[in-house]
Amino acid sequence: MSTAKADSLNIMGNDDVYKNLSDPWLTLASVQEHLFPADETSPGAKDITALRFLKNMLNAPDTDSEEKQFILKGPGWLNDLSLKQHNKEFSQLDSETKEKILRQIETSKAGNRWLSLMMTYLVEALLSDPVYGGNNNQKGWQWLEHIPGFPTPTIDKVYFKLGAHASPKRRTKA
Amino acid sequence: MSKDYDICVIGSGAGAGPVVSELARAGKSVLVLEKGPWLKENDFFKDEMACCRRTTYTPKLEDEQHVIEEETISGDWVSEPTSESGWDFWNGNVVGGSSNFMSGYFYRLKPKDFRLLSEFGPIKDANVVDWPISYEDLEPYYTKAETEVGISGHVIPHKHQEPRSTKDFPFPPTNEHPIVKNIDKACEDLNLTSLPTPRAVLSRPSNGRQSCEYSGYCGSYGCRSGAKGSSRAALLDGAVATGNCEIKDNSKVYKLKSDSTGKVTEALYYDANNKSQSVSAKLFVVACHAIETSRLLFASNGPKHPDGLGNNYQQLGKNLLFSGGGSGTGEFHYSKMDELTATAMKTRGPFVNRGLQDFYFFEDKAFGGKAKGGVIDFLLRHPNPISKAMATRWNVDDNLNWGPQLKQDLKTVFTGSQDLRFEVFNDWLPTDNCFVSLDKNVKDKWGSAVAKVRVGYHEHDLKVGEYLANKAEDVLKQMGADNIRSSISGSPPPNLVAGGCRFGNDIKTSVLDANCKVHDVDNLYVTDGSFMPTGGSVPYTWTIYANSFRVADIIKQRV
Repeated sequence: MSTAKADSLNIMGNDDVYKNLSDPWLTLASVQEHLFPADETSPGAKDITALRFLKNMLNAPDTDSEEKQFILKGPGWLNDLSLKQHNKEFSQLDSETKEKILRQIETSKAGNRWLSLMMTYLVEALLSDPVYGGNNNQKGWQWLEHIPGFPTPTIDKVYFKLGAHASPKRRTKA
Repeated sequence: MSKDYDICVIGSGAGAGPVVSELARAGKSVLVLEKGPWLKENDFFKDEMACCRRTTYTPKLEDEQHVIEEETISGDWVSEPTSESGWDFWNGNVVGGSSNFMSGYFYRLKPKDFRLLSEFGPIKDANVVDWPISYEDLEPYYTKAETEVGISGHVIPHKHQEPRSTKDFPFPPTNEHPIVKNIDKACEDLNLTSLPTPRAVLSRPSNGRQSCEYSGYCGSYGCRSGAKGSSRAALLDGAVATGNCEIKDNSKVYKLKSDSTGKVTEALYYDANNKSQSVSAKLFVVACHAIETSRLLFASNGPKHPDGLGNNYQQLGKNLLFSGGGSGTGEFHYSKMDELTATAMKTRGPFVNRGLQDFYFFEDKAFGGKAKGGVIDFLLRHPNPISKAMATRWNVDDNLNWGPQLKQDLKTVFTGSQDLRFEVFNDWLPTDNCFVSLDKNVKDKWGSAVAKVRVGYHEHDLKVGEYLANKAEDVLKQMGADNIRSSISGSPPPNLVAGGCRFGNDIKTSVLDANCKVHDVDNLYVTDGSFMPTGGSVPYTWTIYANSFRVADIIKQRV
């Protein structure tokens, strides 16, 4: 995993997002890595800084606050279940047990919604422009041989600083 | 009494641009009131999050929405607000409107489209009529749009070619993708005429606008180079430069006030700070999207128009049109190609720009002889990677897909094949089950009633769509595509909408007269797609531009 290269791709929040993790972020990162694991030839959730993307998006001004709270409460529920069944927090489980417990929560309505949201943010982290904090060093695009368009967005003109989101008072006319 | 402006135009998309540009250039003072913000070329990036994953160029549905009324299998009509269904009917609420985000497949209507009833006779339960004008009336303005908007293409004679007053397009076709050769060959084998699709995309710089940069992302995206013929880039920027045109963005018109003679006196609007403002003008033009135009006229009751402007005969909002048809796909697997061919097929940037008009009109026993068909357009699958990846989140059993299996599926979707799609456009027949009214309960964030849209379709549309889809599938088969499939449905495409203020010669059966003036309002015109009584079987934008140029000439005579 490449770190702290002072390039323009790191503008959406710090690159140390995986250092000294504590919950809910520790469990969220662990779930992301299980859902999107690295292997010899392809990046995993950490390689594409999926956690940084998730953090950025949960803090975006247009993100529904109910959805944000719902995602952030997930680790608590997941760890309760994990401790009850296996006496360990989720991140401490082996891969097989993680799979079992995630497939178990998938069968409940809330669990299914939570996992669907995690998957959606993962796919967005993999393939959105790096300006949003995921797709670190374009690793997602490179892995899938995706050719991006141009020009790519700049930090001052990400979607939530344009259009319906921008404050009309601050906008200047030509 | 002195007025603030000669002309006040509500909306700034394809229906507004020509009127604004022509009147400003003629020295009239023009005010444009646009609900959305004024984004410029340097605000547009190839950013899938902005264009397609989040709400950026359209209102949040909690703030402004529609209520959509659909028929259930038991035959009841059930309505649902779009903030609950997520079914977004907005297309682009910014200066220049949805023309900023179009793909710009540009087609003229054919002469017979102007007299569908006379040519093909009535269809049961469809309100088919002839237009009050002919193709010849509109032809000069189609031609004018080629230069003013910037349309690139090349005329190839074929059996349904409409008459033209000029020999060819003012701009040559844009660059073409290598797959075009395969399409042409397959069509030749099938004895079909593969035609270059005219595009509202500049292939050469013109009038201060750059030519296309071929970034490979066009439809759904705002254009950075100015090559796309949006109303903003092609017309409004020039209108503002005359000094006669003022554009007020973030200005949402909610009512047109009319006096005891029925004339419109003022437009009332909410400014960027949600404060109510009013402006007067000699003449008003409404062009703010087919559904919203009807909604505004409904909301604009007055002493002579108790049920809304232009609604004294209960015609307003009726005969709304979408586009019939659907789409299909065929896959070309790289594993079946040599490396050189695969590399060519992977090219990103140039356009496909091929379509078929062989079946615009056809004869078939299943259709009782002579019938109206439509066009088929070929295009590559949209390169948006997130939308491409989203379907892999679910497996065939509808369970969530993750882990190594997900990654394998992603790899296949992205690197396994080039997918050629086709789109079918055929008439969406006007019926009594497709119309706009005001919803009695749901309001927008300013407290105004939102539009309720009944979106019924005619079974005949599906029959024609299937006929065309089969022809398109034949081409994909001939090309050797795998996994060919298509889907024709009666689901309305929200980006292809017209009608609701049908023009005609009789006030009892139409809202507008042949000049697109509201019959019984002396100073109110409608110039977006609302005027169309039938839609033709092509995307509407070129016709909307052309008609707006036509109406501009009419208005010029009187102010």
